[in-house]
This record gives sequence, structure tokens and C-alpha cells, in this order.
Amino acid sequence: MNNKFDALKDDDSGDHDQDQGSPKDCEKEKTDDEDKEQNTSKKKMVVPGAGEHPLQYNYTFWYSRRTPGRPANTQSYEQNIKQIGSFASVEQFWRFYSHMIRPGDLTGHSDFHLFKEGIKPMWEDDANKMGGKWIIRLRKGLASRCWENLILAMLGEQFMVGEEICGAVVSVRFQEDIISIWNKTASDQATTARIRDTLRRVLNLPPNTIMEYKTHTDSIKAWEDFHGLVNASGGR
Amino acid sequence: MSTDCQKTTAKAIPSSRRVTISDAAHMPHDYSTTPGGTLFSTTPGGTRIIYDRKFLLECRSSPVAKTPPRGLPNIPGVTSPPSKDTSEKTHNGEPLNNNTINAPGSSNTGEDAQFEMDI
Repeated sequence: MNNKFDALKDDDSGDHDQDQGSPKDCEKEKTDDEDKEQNTSKKKMVVPGAGEHPLQYNYTFWYSRRTPGRPANTQSYEQNIKQIGSFASVEQFWRFYSHMIRPGDLTGHSDFHLFKEGIKPMWEDDANKMGGKWIIRLRKGLASRCWENLILAMLGEQFMVGEEICGAVVSVRFQEDIISIWNKTASDQATTARIRDTLRRVLNLPPNTIMEYKTHTDSIKAWEDFHGLVNASGGR
Repeated sequence: MSTDCQKTTAKAIPSSRRVTISDAAHMPHDYSTTPGGTLFSTTPGGTRIIYDRKFLLECRSSPVAKTPPRGLPNIPGVTSPPSKDTSEKTHNGEPLNNNTINAPGSSNTGEDAQFEMDI
């Protein structure tokens, strides 16, 4: 395991790019039935319960928090990113969301990540490595509402970019909060433009809001430059 | 959505789905929406299950959406109230005195005006 990214806490846009090995398998949300589910392992994909409204994709909530001081190694970072759980329907989403604190009430340097099931909230994930993200910086007080609008738009497939969306992140920081949405193909300008326009619409952003698109390769490069690690390990 | 229908349906339509409406709040508010969301709309990525914000917010009030999820990890300050006595009580998805962290806005059903953003 390469721990080149282990102290990546200075990029403020909520990336968590560490190898994080095997996060504890979270217990998958099970539909409220039934014996047929019993013999399946925790890894089974979660499915919508009877009468629930299925989502186009399953998603997983993650949470991470920077520990005071710098983490000494990858492992300590690993301990900081946790799967909260996965869901497949609108109702299952609300069960998680209603039992999680809202981002605006988080303390410290914390992030919620909501990614399609199977995609880790890391640059290196296969789904992310050619991708990038739109970043919007918010003054304090707006994160909870913006995050809710963002994830509802994502879950409801409002972005209309096919398979391109990977996930969304809200990052609570000292003086501002940041929301971002990640997509698969940074070079696909039609997609990134459509995501931008949808963001403006669903977040009700004023026209002069600054939105920044950043490719993950640039993020990695910036991180390496900052940490003086260019060529240190030949990348990965 | 009868089975007959399903049999004669060309395979371009992925599946049919029965939507049970148990609550008036789940009825769509405009003619272009079907109960349960706008199914099979065509987008650049193919057919999609699309829900708008208002519909998603309405689903929040359904009883099944309120039970705590199974296996919710206990993370103080995140999935349970901060600090103190967070012991085992919430660990296996047992209700933590239900909805204490249903923060402001949880009663929100989408009727409120969008906030003004001033960044």
C-alpha cells in the first residue's frame, strides 16, 4: 500500500484519496423482510424494499474526519474514513439521512461523501481516475441546505449525464464549507457543462457564483507539488 | 402495468413496476409525473428513474423512511448525539431516542421558498 497520500488534508475540497484498504464492511441496509435475505452475506447489494421507490443507482454514505494533528500514516487515515451505509431506494436514503447530523452542524474538519455503491471517494478509484469535480465554496451557514439539494438532485437523476456522475462531497472547513460533485470523464466538456448548469439550477446559485472545475490528475499533481513528492515514488 | 402488458412489451422497456400509493402525499403534482417518479424518461444515458426534489422530500414523511437503518454505525456527533454516553445503545440500529438529530429543516416538505444565496 502506497501511503503517498496519507497526509492529504490540505486540499480543501474534500478529497480522500488515501488508500484505505478495506473499510469495515458496513452492514448493508436490508430490506425489511425476510428469510430469503438471511443467508446472504453483508456484501450483498442492497435492494429496495417492497413498495419503496427504487433509485437509478445504489449509493453509499461515507464520513471522514481529520484527526487533530497530522495522521502519522495511512492506517490512521483509514480509521478516519467510515462507511455509514448503502441504500437502494428513496425511503432507505431518508432512513440514513434522517439519522445523520446535517453537515452544517458537524464540528471540525469533516466530510460527508455520497458515492455510487462500489465507487470509493478517492481519486484513484477506477471510476474516478480520469475524472474531475465541480467545486463550490460556500460561506458558513449554507452547507446543510446546499448539500441536501445537491444529493437530492443526484439521487433523482437530475443531472442527465448518463453514467457520468460518481458522487458528491461536502467538506466542512474552518471558515467556509465546500460542496463538490465528481464525474467520470474530466475531458468530456458537454458533460461537465451540463453538470455545471444543473448545479446552478438545483442549488439556486446566483449567476456570479464562482464554480471551479478541477481534474483529479491536477489535484494529485497539486498534492504532490505541495508535499514535494514529485517523482518520489513514480506515481501510481 | 398488468402482466399482459408486460408480456407484450418490447424489450426496450426494461421492466414494469407496480407503484402503491398509500398516502396522498405521494401523488404527483403535475400531469407529466407518474406516481413514484418519472420512470423511463429518456436521457443521454438511456432510460432513467428520475425524481424531482419535491417528490423526494414528500417521501420523507412515509413511515418506512423514518425507521433507523439497520447497521447504522455509531459515530458520536455524526449518527448519534455528540459525546457522552453513546455506548452500545445505538450500536445495532436501535432507535436512539428517535430522531433527536433530526435537525432543523427536517420538517421541511419542500414548500418553503428556496433560500437566497449570497456567497
